[in-house]
Amino acid sequence: MSGRLDGGGPLASMRAWWTMLAICLEERLVYRGDFALGTLMRFLPMVTQVFLWTAVFAATSRRDVAGYSRNDIVAYYLLAMLTRAFSSMPGLSTGIARSIRDGSVKKYLVQPVDYVSFLLAARIAHKLVYYAVAILPFGGVFIACRGFFPPPPDATTMSIFVLSLVLSFLLGFFMEATLGMIGFWVLEVSSLVFAYMLVQYLLSGHMFPIDMLAGIPTGLPGTSLADVVRWLPFEYTAYFPAAVWLGKIRGPDLVRALAIEAAWVVVMAIACRVAWKRGTRRYAAFGG
Amino acid sequence: MHNSGPSSVAAPVIEVAGLAKEYRVYDKPEGLWASVRGLLHRTSRVVEALRGVNLTVGRGEFVALLGPNGAGKTTFLKLLSGIITPSRGTARVLGHVPWERADDFRRRFALVMGQRNQLWWDLPAAESFRLHKEIYRLDAARFERTRDELVDLLGVKKLVLQPVRELSLGERMKLELVAALLHEPEVLFLDEPTIGLDVVAQHTIHEFLRHVQAERRTTVILTTHYMKDVAALCERVVVITHGDIVHDGPLAEIVDRFTTHKIVTLDLDDPSATARIERCGFPCEVRGPRVVLRIDRQRIADVLPEILRSDGVRDVSVEDVPLEEIVAELFRSGAPERRAVVETAR
Amino acid sequence: MGRYLAIFLTFARACLVRDMTFRANFILESVTSLGWMSMNLAFYMLVFQFTPEIGKGTGWTREPFFAFVATGLIINSIVQAFFMPSAEELTEMVRTGGLDAVLVQPLDAQFLLSMHRVDYSSLANGAVGVGLLAWALARMGHAPPPVAWLLYPLLLLCGVAILYALVIVLAAATIHMGRNQSLYDFWFYMTNFSRYPAEIYAGPWGGPIRALFTFVLPILLVVNVPARVIARPLAGGAWWPVAGVVAAALAALVVSRVVFQRSLAKYRSASS
Repeated sequence: MSGRLDGGGPLASMRAWWTMLAICLEERLVYRGDFALGTLMRFLPMVTQVFLWTAVFAATSRRDVAGYSRNDIVAYYLLAMLTRAFSSMPGLSTGIARSIRDGSVKKYLVQPVDYVSFLLAARIAHKLVYYAVAILPFGGVFIACRGFFPPPPDATTMSIFVLSLVLSFLLGFFMEATLGMIGFWVLEVSSLVFAYMLVQYLLSGHMFPIDMLAGIPTGLPGTSLADVVRWLPFEYTAYFPAAVWLGKIRGPDLVRALAIEAAWVVVMAIACRVAWKRGTRRYAAFGG
Repeated sequence: MHNSGPSSVAAPVIEVAGLAKEYRVYDKPEGLWASVRGLLHRTSRVVEALRGVNLTVGRGEFVALLGPNGAGKTTFLKLLSGIITPSRGTARVLGHVPWERADDFRRRFALVMGQRNQLWWDLPAAESFRLHKEIYRLDAARFERTRDELVDLLGVKKLVLQPVRELSLGERMKLELVAALLHEPEVLFLDEPTIGLDVVAQHTIHEFLRHVQAERRTTVILTTHYMKDVAALCERVVVITHGDIVHDGPLAEIVDRFTTHKIVTLDLDDPSATARIERCGFPCEVRGPRVVLRIDRQRIADVLPEILRSDGVRDVSVEDVPLEEIVAELFRSGAPERRAVVETAR
Repeated sequence: MGRYLAIFLTFARACLVRDMTFRANFILESVTSLGWMSMNLAFYMLVFQFTPEIGKGTGWTREPFFAFVATGLIINSIVQAFFMPSAEELTEMVRTGGLDAVLVQPLDAQFLLSMHRVDYSSLANGAVGVGLLAWALARMGHAPPPVAWLLYPLLLLCGVAILYALVIVLAAATIHMGRNQSLYDFWFYMTNFSRYPAEIYAGPWGGPIRALFTFVLPILLVVNVPARVIARPLAGGAWWPVAGVVAAALAALVVSRVVFQRSLAKYRSASS
């Protein structure tokens, strides 16, 4: 490239520099565009869900389903998706299991770093980069859909929402990390990961608001399926923050739910530590 | 440049004129951004893999296609087997234009790629052979006869029913060859068939190829980096460097043309004799009590008695320069300029 | 034609042998796809807790809707079993040179590249689909007329053909894009629109979506038309969707053939 520009003098090299700068900017923008497109595609399944619920409302002439109006449902799906952007950890458990299986986990036994903290730091970085780029498509969709949202909640609710999002990130992280560390005992964790994903798919609330399970009996007197799910960690990775924003959980219920979420974070963090300690001890004893 | 081989009396099996292939390579910057960034804007270069090649090969010839990595050998074979289309030029193989990919043409040749596995990985080779029978529409009786004959020749009868993934590289290659020859191709392209194989397996494959080729008068083009393959199999050598044929002729001719020296190795009784030998003034290399000299071929008859007369020489051997060295020399000599590279952007 | 059938059976047999060799893996995969399917069924059951019908006056009450879902399961499992695995492997074949080995064989490349692998575990969903269809039809209280039974298999085939064409076009795109991570994603997002009755796409936004996925990219026809024929016998004069889906299937096959041949030609001229 330089060969062609040699004879052109300062003007030509200036032009070349300008072209290069333009190309670089253009490239960044192109990259963003493509990524944004990929993220936008992720909203497509939601579109069909919204049409499905709209058809349900049309057929029943109900005003609400389990306390959700049609607009609430649209807003709910958007917020649940936002929460999943915090709590989902693509590749975390399978990555840990793989590093155990192929022995690359050894280097963390040797190096003076704490593996769990290292993974957490890496995941935070990963997420930050993701948000930096995903904010455009997310922002676009939220602004376009603002009509579906109820008026924004008060400052207290808003801060509880933010807190629940942060906790959902930690909960998702520690659950998946613990799952991956089962790889110290079981060679192939893929079936476990699969079972986890299935339960997660149904009970986290990213298919439907968990309130819809309130009418499903469990056999225990006075206890619905929603009452059971409330005590499990799953709904805190999608349903809970969305419900907080929409004001579906209030007062003592809200405090209790937040306490349950925080407790699960602590439990899973401890489980993760214990799994790592025991796992590495076992690993050192039996060799990899 | 394209003198035909000695046995091409009848119509040639392969006729190539002015065959050229250019392709575009895209610069791939490192990193996460790269793959997506490249979608709309990427810089590219045009690379000339072949630059107007002429070649004629007669029925039953066994031709070695030599050249350094990236010289265009594999591209040439891919053009001849119709996998890719050329940028310019013509080619006829068995009377067909390869890249028209007529079924009648594709049934009459085979391509074996030493670095690639074409057999079903998790299943016994017998299953792949059965598939081959269907694809090439082989008559059942003939298929079984050919298969048994080939399997016997290579001594792989026991391996046929074993899953391919359990076999060694050499065993796998033998079965690949069986598969490729099941439809009794008239033309056989072998792309580095002995790569990575041990000496015994190489030898078995040489014997096998020689036998099959003599029996069926198959026309074979072989690319390889092992001069043993060439010495064992090929009477004709074609050398490609940088997309051009720089030499085409009998193997003996190359040796003749490029061996100007003989290698003389002396074993000495007495290390002090080294000094005397060195004084003869030939390029020489001392390895302990052993001295290796490179002596002009014309002068060897004069020089050798003189050297032997000196004291302390216990043993002597006179050899040709190794084929590898000759070919390396050829590769270097055929590199007049770098490939034309054009910067473009899309 | 007979030869292609023989070759296909050879592939099918080889894949069966392989699946039986790695039985544990096979069972795990079957359980996986059954698991996802049952989660979706559970969701649909939940939806019917709140409504007797999907869309006002559309007739998609519980049993017809599950016949619809069953039809979708059958069609998708056929595509997943016979075409998806080969298509997903294509990019890998381009990278490793396996595609070259295919191109020298005296056989149609598209046939070989789109059908050389069979994933039997995907058929589990189809089997459940057949069971679900039988259940739904039995509970509906009125048997489909004989003509519906005749048309149903044909329409299933048309649905499979349309999805096959989509797979082929996506696979062709990955030949020169050189990556296929997005193949499955794209497939998922596109076929997602065919999962529910077309009637739900109503209103100012639904109308254009319905038109787009009926006339331009006819994936809405894939499940809707056969499901309609079997579960909700067509009223008089409503036969055009049947003709439409046959025409769409033929058109899709032609288009996918052209696109695939073009990308192979591009591969041949652009690689060395």
